[in-house]
Amino acid sequence: MRSDSPSHPPTLTTQALDLDYGGPTIVADLEVTIPVGEITVIIGPNGCGKSTLLKALARLLKPTEGTVFLDGKDIHRWSTRDVARRLSLLPQAPRAPDGVLVSDLVRRGRYPHQGLFDQWSAEDERAVGRALELTSMVELSDRPVDELSGGQRQRAWIAMALAQDTPLVLLDEPTTFLDMAHQVDVLELLRTLNETEGRTVVMVLHDLNQACRYASHLIAMADTTVIAEGPPQDVVTAAMVERVFGLACKVIDDPVSGTPLCIPLGRKENSKNT
Amino acid sequence: MLAIGAPAPQTALALFAGFLTVGIMLRVSRMIPATSSGVRFGGFSAVVGWRTVWLTAGAVGLAVTLLVVGLIVGDFPVPVVDALRTAFFERGGEYDFVVNTLRFPRVVTALLAGICLGLSGAIFQTLIGNPLVSPDIIGIDQGAAVCAVFILVVGGNIALLPIAAFAGALATALFIYVLAWKRGVSGTRLVLVGIGVNAVLAAVVTFMLVRFPIERVAAAARWQAGTLFGSSWEDVRILAVGLILLSPLAWYWTRKLRMLELGDEAAAALGIRVERDRLILIAIGAGLASFAVAVVGPLSFVALLVPHLARLLGGPMTTGLLALTAALGAGLLLGADLVAQRLFAPTTLPAGVVTAAIGGPYFLYLLYRYNRAI
Repeated sequence: MRSDSPSHPPTLTTQALDLDYGGPTIVADLEVTIPVGEITVIIGPNGCGKSTLLKALARLLKPTEGTVFLDGKDIHRWSTRDVARRLSLLPQAPRAPDGVLVSDLVRRGRYPHQGLFDQWSAEDERAVGRALELTSMVELSDRPVDELSGGQRQRAWIAMALAQDTPLVLLDEPTTFLDMAHQVDVLELLRTLNETEGRTVVMVLHDLNQACRYASHLIAMADTTVIAEGPPQDVVTAAMVERVFGLACKVIDDPVSGTPLCIPLGRKENSKNT
Repeated sequence: MLAIGAPAPQTALALFAGFLTVGIMLRVSRMIPATSSGVRFGGFSAVVGWRTVWLTAGAVGLAVTLLVVGLIVGDFPVPVVDALRTAFFERGGEYDFVVNTLRFPRVVTALLAGICLGLSGAIFQTLIGNPLVSPDIIGIDQGAAVCAVFILVVGGNIALLPIAAFAGALATALFIYVLAWKRGVSGTRLVLVGIGVNAVLAAVVTFMLVRFPIERVAAAARWQAGTLFGSSWEDVRILAVGLILLSPLAWYWTRKLRMLELGDEAAAALGIRVERDRLILIAIGAGLASFAVAVVGPLSFVALLVPHLARLLGGPMTTGLLALTAALGAGLLLGADLVAQRLFAPTTLPAGVVTAAIGGPYFLYLLYRYNRAI
């Protein structure tokens, strides 16, 4: 029942993608290519279709028109299991069933690799152990998920996605509901994964400055389509932020990381600056 | 109508002993750590939760004990040795009629129906992610009842009753599923639609009961209360067929159920075909419930109570927990039937009255706790 993981890192691209939920168009004629081995962050105002795009990339939503290509082949023509071996998705605000232990949750990430009679191979054990280690959840593995703090809970879910052992990891707003320290924790963890394991990370983030700091590739969306795409240094300008978020701002260099830092202007500051 | 007397002292004592046993089981289960470990040999590998294994062994022991008790007690007590010999080794003899015709089919029916109801409830509760859900609450049992009561009140062939109940339950499950469909089926919508369908079907049953001649209605009303009285080997055969067909499917789909309970998106990302697998699980759950309902009538609250007890003892859903649920279901129904027969002996009650008497208050307690948690 076991098949090997893909030998090369799989690519993810879209072509003339139209997405909707049976109502108004959410994403129209969208073309993006996710760079392999990098961290891609999708940003944009509420309702611009960034989470919808992520769902389509993860095969959770069938496009009305156009195609998502996983490794050059229409993602809907792959078997669900083969997709799950190449691509994992952490949904927004996932909820664990009552009383589920961290170890149990993380083990479930191995599902796409398991057979009916082969449910706990040495490979499964290694992947789960590694996922717990990377997320510093080893000590907490015998605790119920619903008793953990918000940050720990999110790390448990990330551990589950890591145990799935996929070259592509997609995350939908992994920092929502976390305080600032835990947000940084989670983003640092994802960066480590990207650097040490070479995994391609794609995530939707709300905070533009966090996106600038952690992304190597930024996709800025507004009004059903991509407005700008590329490294944060090239993409994030006052004009772009104005266009995407409808927000007047000043862009300076982040004194810590050197990445762009966007400082919003209120009415008062705006009048002073112009 | 016979007057119902107070329970005899020994019955009360036995009841007390029963509660004490359950209490001790609960205590002991807390002492076994909830951790699990990997087991591998040859091409097999699995994760085993030792607490669940011990609990299942205990629950199976309890069910077997109750089964034997069911053979020996009654208006005509039979010594243990004679009861076992008559049932398992030498058919015939002094106790043949009492043991092999009256009691043995009845206890085996209770055992198998309890397994069906327990499994069905576990599937529905896990799938919908709501501990207040069971096939009797979302109208599956009532769907079976409409067809079965119809057969009874029009004086149709009694042999058709199981088939009619099965068809009614499956049709209702499908109907609820279709009504709840709106770009996929969410748990909450399924429950709300189910409760509505349940009310409508209950009205249909009531309509039939007031519309048809009283002598036929009496049989239907008795069936509706859920009774094991008069269970035969034919009933056992029906339940056995149901379990042989459906329990392997339930076992296989439990792995997918475990992914589905993480939410649709997480499940889909793990390689589950969400809508297809959910529909299959609903069909398995409805099928299991319908076999039980066809034979013993809509025994209320068993399917609600048992998975709950199993989770309380053994934790979240695993294949091991499914086995524990089955064993507890068997034990609970056997126990309920014994109480129903002996509590006010010589007057006997339908087992459904006992399960409702335990399950009703427990349901209210759950509702209270569940509401507070929100």
